[in-house]
Amino acid sequence: MGDQVDLKEFVGGFIAESDQLTASATAGLLEIEQANARNELRPKTVRDLFRALHTLKGLAGMMGIEPIVELAHAFETVLRSADQAGGRLGARGVELGLITVRGIAERVRAVADDRPVPRAPDGLLDELARVDITGTSAAPAPYVAHGWDGRLAPGERTQLAAALAANKKIYTLTFAPSDATSSKGVTIATVRSAVAALGELIKVAPRSQPASADAPAGLLFELLVVSDASVEQLAEAASSTPGRVMPVVGEAVAPASLELPADDEIAPIGRSVVRVDLGRLDELQDALSALVVSRFRLERQVAALAAAGVDVRGLRETCEQQGRQLRELRRGILRARMVRVADVLEPLSLIVRSLTKPGVKEVRLELDVRDSELDKAVADRLLPALVHLVRNAIDHAIEPIVDREKAGKPRAGTLRIECREGAGNELEIAIRDDGRGIDRDAIGRRAGKPILDTATLLDVIATPGFSTRDSATETSGRGFGMDIVRRIVVSDLGGELALDTAVGRGTTFTLTVPLTIAIIDVFSFECAQQAFVVPVATVEEIFELGDHNAVTGPSAKGRLPIALIERRGKPVQIIPLGTLLRIPCEVTAKKALVVRRNGEALAFAVDRMLGRHEVVVRPIDDVLARVPGVAGATDLGDGRPTLLLDLVELGAGVSNWREVQPS
Amino acid sequence: MTGLHVAFKVGGAEYVVSADQVLHLESFTEATHIPGAPAFVAGLVQVRGKLVPVVDLRSRFGITPGWSATREHQLDNRVIVVSVGSRVAGLLVDSARDVLRLDESTFQPPPDLVGVQAAGFVKAVTTIPPSRLLLVVDVPRVIGEEVAHA
Amino acid sequence: MQIRAGVTQRLLIVDDSKVMRDMVAACLRPLGDVSFDFAASGLEAIERLALANYQLVVLDLNMPDVGGIEVIEFIRQQSKLSKLPILVVTTRGDETSRTRVLEAGASGFLPKPFAPDQILADVRGLLASA
Repeated sequence: MGDQVDLKEFVGGFIAESDQLTASATAGLLEIEQANARNELRPKTVRDLFRALHTLKGLAGMMGIEPIVELAHAFETVLRSADQAGGRLGARGVELGLITVRGIAERVRAVADDRPVPRAPDGLLDELARVDITGTSAAPAPYVAHGWDGRLAPGERTQLAAALAANKKIYTLTFAPSDATSSKGVTIATVRSAVAALGELIKVAPRSQPASADAPAGLLFELLVVSDASVEQLAEAASSTPGRVMPVVGEAVAPASLELPADDEIAPIGRSVVRVDLGRLDELQDALSALVVSRFRLERQVAALAAAGVDVRGLRETCEQQGRQLRELRRGILRARMVRVADVLEPLSLIVRSLTKPGVKEVRLELDVRDSELDKAVADRLLPALVHLVRNAIDHAIEPIVDREKAGKPRAGTLRIECREGAGNELEIAIRDDGRGIDRDAIGRRAGKPILDTATLLDVIATPGFSTRDSATETSGRGFGMDIVRRIVVSDLGGELALDTAVGRGTTFTLTVPLTIAIIDVFSFECAQQAFVVPVATVEEIFELGDHNAVTGPSAKGRLPIALIERRGKPVQIIPLGTLLRIPCEVTAKKALVVRRNGEALAFAVDRMLGRHEVVVRPIDDVLARVPGVAGATDLGDGRPTLLLDLVELGAGVSNWREVQPS
Repeated sequence: MTGLHVAFKVGGAEYVVSADQVLHLESFTEATHIPGAPAFVAGLVQVRGKLVPVVDLRSRFGITPGWSATREHQLDNRVIVVSVGSRVAGLLVDSARDVLRLDESTFQPPPDLVGVQAAGFVKAVTTIPPSRLLLVVDVPRVIGEEVAHA
Repeated sequence: MQIRAGVTQRLLIVDDSKVMRDMVAACLRPLGDVSFDFAASGLEAIERLALANYQLVVLDLNMPDVGGIEVIEFIRQQSKLSKLPILVVTTRGDETSRTRVLEAGASGFLPKPFAPDQILADVRGLLASA
């Protein structure tokens, strides 16, 4: 076996590192103690503490120092509960923690002085086992921002929610590692430190994607940071460009008090429930979308066989059966993603409470939502819109007590939220207040034109920048206007927004939203000056055409002109997407998207890449618009439908392509 | 019996559709072209958040060979959003202004007109005194019983 | 089992404790023709794996930002890394970890504390069967 490695040689390093760990653990515990005094949570510190104790346990184990292992393990267990409780470590936990860490530090000293290491005191171990983290049901995890929700642990969500509620500036930075950056000594570790120095770094997450100019190693790191630094400073810290520093927007409820609202109805216990990570449901849904797309292709192939005279009856039956089974599966997965509307609206009662000023303005919230359910993805996107409408109602619509009593209205204003399932895959949510109503004529005067119906009234108040008050009020005026509500409900979710109002009596907003939506991670690109999107999952690679010498072989007359390039020693066909789609254009294609079909790589030439997004994709139902290669449509934010392409299916049509002569 | 009808113009002739088939009237700026769709389909538009395919009636009625994205649009162009059964589609017309109450007992079968009538898109004709001729459109037919993919 | 002669095996050792990293490297030096790269966090490990090729990863689970399980899942999602041997080393007390770790796609699991010849044997075995 050769020379046995003697781990005792590492004792010097062990002592040095353990001293550092016990020192930082002590500092962390003191920080939590101070935060407790201010009624604040420190979920991140709790996690750091957990890791420190866990590492101490591991190192002591390797060195064979059992008493330290026991102490570390006992406190680590307490910290695990604290982390699951949302990062809450109470006074007793802190006190015992300080004693434990001191005990560990003393035993490390003993090792250093070559003295026998005292056993772990049973009394302390008992106390640690008995520490009760009260209120283990954490405050409802607050809703946070698009793009990060689902990637954050509960403690991190709490952090982000607190920053949102305090109106801090929050950004997502993107760092793309490459040979170039690493040869300059810039690594994720250095970037992380640089960014953390500029503010509060909440999370760093890796994201893989096909190698491209923006991500040379096929890898990006996204950093979620709260910071007052300038965009330029942040970009520099992340070795990135100001254009790629993205502000993070979201609505959240700050867990100002940790007690649950008293008048809540307890949800009926007795339903057997499994907690599922939303990410897993998303994966299931992706797999399902892939199945649906390939089934569509299968249908076409069956149709082609039928056209060629093959008897496809048996095949068709199997196809239909498969279609039914897929629909069942889809319904099942979508049901699994459903959340109760009552749960979604829970934060609203806290908001209403916080906006009520006893003696000045009082508001009563009534929720009539029964057992309605909604897809979690829809609910997550909808909640900020609902929060805004509620705040708006309380700020602008509901009058102070004085005015209400003068008008003969009850002292407290009523805000009523009703939820009904509509025809088809829809939910209708009405937000009704009994406040002052919207003065159509006054709005008309401000807008400079007469307002004939509620649709126009809604158009006017949902115009970006329009505000019914000259100065933004405390809660509603943060630039989160009715235009954003409309964008969320109508463009993002594909729903409808309607308004009904009567001066002196009140206003009702009615939102109609789909019960379920499909969300896909896509690349957007431009081809023949039209924008398209394609699922990220189907793209293997993106490269610059200019970097390669393209050879255009002789193509038969009227057939698609295909160029050949050499890539990694193999010939790859470059299919001009614009020509394939018969879109006339003059612009030269610069980029190629690679997909794989039957094991073969196909490259499609497009003009330029636009970006990457998570979008809601809606199927194209109408026969007039269903064509091979188009799997749906989405809205990239400009109000126009953008088509989602199935490049693999388009690739299948290449050999059949014939030039169409103008008639 | 009488019913409300929306009147519109395409290529100089005047047509009507029954108002119970009409959902809304929208102005038109552009449609997202659908590669591979029939030539008379202008593309997809988003109306109140819904995806709606738009049929260019000029091409459908044979006045132009097919929709062209570079064709000049007039400010008067309108999309009449219709619903037939569960389908919702848009009809792109030159202009649409009037809503008329028409007595359906005056509807007559269309006489022999070349081109438009032959394709079966017009199911009846009527006149309003003194001599305003209105062609009654068969909406389900227009939005695509025969769908030929390219 | 002999490691292929003449080819330097490049190993990535991931642990947020420097002492731990040094100990693992010392334990594995007897393999012979090996070179070591180190990462102190899951993020650094992911970065290193994107920029260079390794024959094996020794991975601790308990790390800041992106934990070991997430690193394994991330690695297995990349087609070029799907066969990379990953030996997870983790501290006693996580009995349920073993299943989770193997489900996530780790090639092997070694609880701490371990003896030097244990980790040497495990790594030898993973390299030989790769």
